[in-house]
Amino acid sequence: MLRRTKSYPSLGLEDRFIIFEVKVYRERRRVIEVTDIVKRYGSNTVLNHATFQINEGQLTTILGPSGCGKTTMLRCMNRLEKFDRGRLKIGGVEVLGTEDRRLTAAEEKELTRQLRSRVGIIFQNFNLFPHLTALDNCTESPMTVKGMQRAKAEEVARQYLQKVGLGGKEDHYPAQLSGGQQQRVAIARALAMEPEVILFDEPTSALDPQLIQSVARMLRALDDLGKTLVVVSHDMNFARRISDQVIYFEGGHAVESGTVEELFSNPQKPETRAFMQSFHDDEPAVIDEESATDKAESGKLETDLGTRGQLGQEE
Amino acid sequence: MTRRNHRISATLLLLLLSPISLVAQTALQRVRQTGELRVGTDATYPPFETAEGGQFTGFDIDLANAVARELGVRAAFTNSGFDGIFPALQNGTFDIVISAVTITPERSATMLFSDPYINAGQLIAIHKETGGIEKPEDLKGKHIGVQINTTAQFDFEKREGVEVTKYDSVALALTDLRNKRIDAVVSDAPVLRYMILQSFQDLKPVGRQFTDEKLGIVLARDSDELRRAVNAALWRVKDSGEYDRIHQKWFGEAAEQAAGSSATQPKAFDLSIVQRTWRFFLTGIWLTARLAFLSLLLGLPIGLLLALARVQSSRILSAPAAVYVEVIRGTPLLVQILFIYFVLPSFGIFIPAFWSGVLALTLNSAAYIAEIFRAGILSIDAGQMEAARALGMTHAQAMRRIILPQTFRRVVPPLTNEAIALLKDSSLVYVIGLSELTRTGQELASRYAAPLTIWPMVAIFYLLLTFPLTRIAEYLERRWRPITRS
Repeated sequence: MLRRTKSYPSLGLEDRFIIFEVKVYRERRRVIEVTDIVKRYGSNTVLNHATFQINEGQLTTILGPSGCGKTTMLRCMNRLEKFDRGRLKIGGVEVLGTEDRRLTAAEEKELTRQLRSRVGIIFQNFNLFPHLTALDNCTESPMTVKGMQRAKAEEVARQYLQKVGLGGKEDHYPAQLSGGQQQRVAIARALAMEPEVILFDEPTSALDPQLIQSVARMLRALDDLGKTLVVVSHDMNFARRISDQVIYFEGGHAVESGTVEELFSNPQKPETRAFMQSFHDDEPAVIDEESATDKAESGKLETDLGTRGQLGQEE
Repeated sequence: MTRRNHRISATLLLLLLSPISLVAQTALQRVRQTGELRVGTDATYPPFETAEGGQFTGFDIDLANAVARELGVRAAFTNSGFDGIFPALQNGTFDIVISAVTITPERSATMLFSDPYINAGQLIAIHKETGGIEKPEDLKGKHIGVQINTTAQFDFEKREGVEVTKYDSVALALTDLRNKRIDAVVSDAPVLRYMILQSFQDLKPVGRQFTDEKLGIVLARDSDELRRAVNAALWRVKDSGEYDRIHQKWFGEAAEQAAGSSATQPKAFDLSIVQRTWRFFLTGIWLTARLAFLSLLLGLPIGLLLALARVQSSRILSAPAAVYVEVIRGTPLLVQILFIYFVLPSFGIFIPAFWSGVLALTLNSAAYIAEIFRAGILSIDAGQMEAARALGMTHAQAMRRIILPQTFRRVVPPLTNEAIALLKDSSLVYVIGLSELTRTGQELASRYAAPLTIWPMVAIFYLLLTFPLTRIAEYLERRWRPITRS
């Protein structure tokens, strides 16, 4: 929990593409760099010179109102969408906009393969494979993509299902599981591919409100595994509770980015202030304490699904 | 007497086949050399020709046997639908066709005829309880029934004030006359007399035969030598008294009495006929089952490949697949069957009748199956493909491991539909001489003049054949139920 309690000095602007000041932690390398990304659907500009960085092992929330382009941004990071201009770096993989560089089919295939081997995604509706059991959902891609033997793949899958608290549900089909359980299968499925970065698209929107707390715990626990997590959400309460870093997104670009404290207590940009204001109107100050408690406890909290100890085994 | 003369075979196929000459040897030389006269006949026309369990009987059959004997050879009969009988003659499958064929100028233009061997004109039949009709002129203002594409139809459609309804067979027209939906039936005299004696005793023929229609043996255009030999043989059969004996047997007083005495009052569904005929259906059922099974087995993978080609983004694959589906679905299966069997030989491709049938049904069903699969693939949520791709699978892997397994589960009901439709559509192969279930029914219904017994039997046999299909579908749906439960 070191990174949340200590603060590090800003290193300032990195190069001329970086518009906003970003906190950089000395001991962590940047794992995701988004530089001046533009994406249009016809005349509709969805991403408008988006620029931000995400450090390794952090939990970053891209927060913003509906239609701000945050989900499109997330999908670009996994190559489910291509972008027109700009540069995306994830790990050692660099992707340029389609207008900047034209790739051959083979290059595109290789790039996509490399990117997806590093980046997993949990969809808003999970998109589990309904014809496969929970276990088979998790073994399918290690076997087909990595060529893993079934026995080995099942061993790995069982471990991850156990970690997300679904031990004993291996042979259930998605339709036989609750929404929260389905989400955890989706997480185990992504983890089984052992990505460095895991993207979450609106992890709370398909769930009952009472499950949100356990999702938060789950995310914190994943964070403790050392994974870099990027969460897209419009839910400020949730973002505040879970994040190391928050990026406020509006109009297709990152307006402002910083720690929870920086962004929620002292927003610099008028757009951010307006958004925070609407939040404060809706939900009074209680949240602050609650989220602080959550974060403080997440390290030692035993969730109903899996303990930190279980999740920490990998480290 | 003009038998059914299918529009498609008459126009399309004769046009396509006319420039072809396949025979180096003359037809007569070939017949002499092999000692076999290959005879095509549509054996659904008593008393001229009928078939029962592979045995041919009738006036034409006896006459063809007598002619073959005079030629010093043996007659080998092949049962063929009337639609396909002339193309088969043209492409050398038969040496002659004897099937109560009327000599007409149109036919004489494309084929050769022997000298006429019988004069069979038109006759009127009415219900015994009615009267006032004796000659064609009396039918003015009346409603009559005819067999489709016969000279009776052509004649009466030209006359003012006669309402003409066309039936697939004389037996069906007579059934409607019995039910008094129509006032009279006009058809070929010998057939009409035979039918009435066999099973329509509540009807009666009236007046005299009012047209002349000469029947001849048909030969291919290039077999003039064989025609002269057949004519000579015909005259010898007549001179020897053999012809009179055959005529007496089938059209004489004795034949009428025999038919009259053996016939009982017709029943709607006659169990004694069921008992006598069910065995003859077995070959037809087996043929239908094999045709449908093989075509489905081959059509499924082809249909799947077409569907996969169509959902590709690349036009190189999707456009040809779309054109294939469009063309096959947009053209009649009957034409496709005729094309494969009768037209391909002119390009040097000879496929036996059974496999021609399988090929046509396969190619046809593949187009429909392709659309079923395509709809199935498109119905799978786009998120499934995305999730699979996001996990690192290639498009092909995602298709094979994620999309198609779900598609198969969804398309079971429409595929069952298609399989059943295919099973029933397979009846169309009768045009290339395959006696499958429907054709067997047609032959037996004519042979026993008992359409009301035979056709329900045919229906029951089809039902029994579809039963295993629906069971398999039910089994698959039950097996996959937990997955679709929500």
